[in-house]
Amino acid sequence: MNDRELDRILSDEADLVPSSGFASGIMDVLRNEASAPPPIPFPWKRALPGIAAWALALAFLIVAVLRRSSESPSPPSILDNLGSTLAAAFRAAQAIGAGWIAAALLLSYVSVKLTLLFIRDRA
Amino acid sequence: MSASDDQADVQKVLAGDIDAFENIVRRWQGPLVNLAYRFCRDRGRAEEMAQEAFMRAYRALGAWRGDAAFSTWLFAVATNLYRSEIRRFPPRSISIDEVAEPVDLRIEDPLRLAEDRDRAVRRAVFTLPPKYREALTLFYFHGMDVAAAAQSLGLPEGTVKARLSRGRELLRNKLPQLMAELNWKEA
Repeated sequence: MNDRELDRILSDEADLVPSSGFASGIMDVLRNEASAPPPIPFPWKRALPGIAAWALALAFLIVAVLRRSSESPSPPSILDNLGSTLAAAFRAAQAIGAGWIAAALLLSYVSVKLTLLFIRDRA
Repeated sequence: MSASDDQADVQKVLAGDIDAFENIVRRWQGPLVNLAYRFCRDRGRAEEMAQEAFMRAYRALGAWRGDAAFSTWLFAVATNLYRSEIRRFPPRSISIDEVAEPVDLRIEDPLRLAEDRDRAVRRAVFTLPPKYREALTLFYFHGMDVAAAAQSLGLPEGTVKARLSRGRELLRNKLPQLMAELNWKEA
């Protein structure tokens, strides 16, 4: 079989005619997509106080750990260090009211989740 | 099919008139479904792939700058999608042993035998590695226009020419076995 014959066979292919509802099917999908509400953006404004509080708590923790390690005269063992670090972290967390912050964050998370759930059900 | 019609409809869609996209779909549904069919050889899947290509084109309509014809851009979008779809979910692979059909009952009918041979040759393209298969598919789909095939594939013309040459060579190497199975004797 030569090139010309190969060209003829591969070029002469009968055209398919799309189904009658093909174009209208695409337009239905597009219209549905266009009429769908836009996705809700992440509530940065509401989340910002919580994020700031967590950053502050982390900063306190780091400062507490650094201060403690500079105060100790001899290098403590890993276990001593871990125990004292956890204790310092706990004290620092108590000082800034970390429990309340965690509860507030959890409440925010649950309310955002519930809102999204309601919106999805209505859509 | 006029380029100015495409341009006018694209501008309407970008201005918020979604219904104008239906003109684009009606104008290009045939070519896009046929191109998809040449990739997958399955009518149902071809329509699904073409639908996805139109959706993708609609979402990316703002990216068409108008420096190339709308059809060139649309074929490039569709080809890109079809290639990745076929690589992700290949059609049922067809071995060279499967492409020929039994012929003993039709040996008396040369016309039907020729049709079988043509069909078998087209299906034999599926046994080629993807890069050669894609080059051959686009080249013949675009009426043997290397430049159009290269634009759709997003490759330099030289690369497409090299792949066409190698693809044809591989195909010709497979054909003697195919012809023997079809009991075809070349004139």
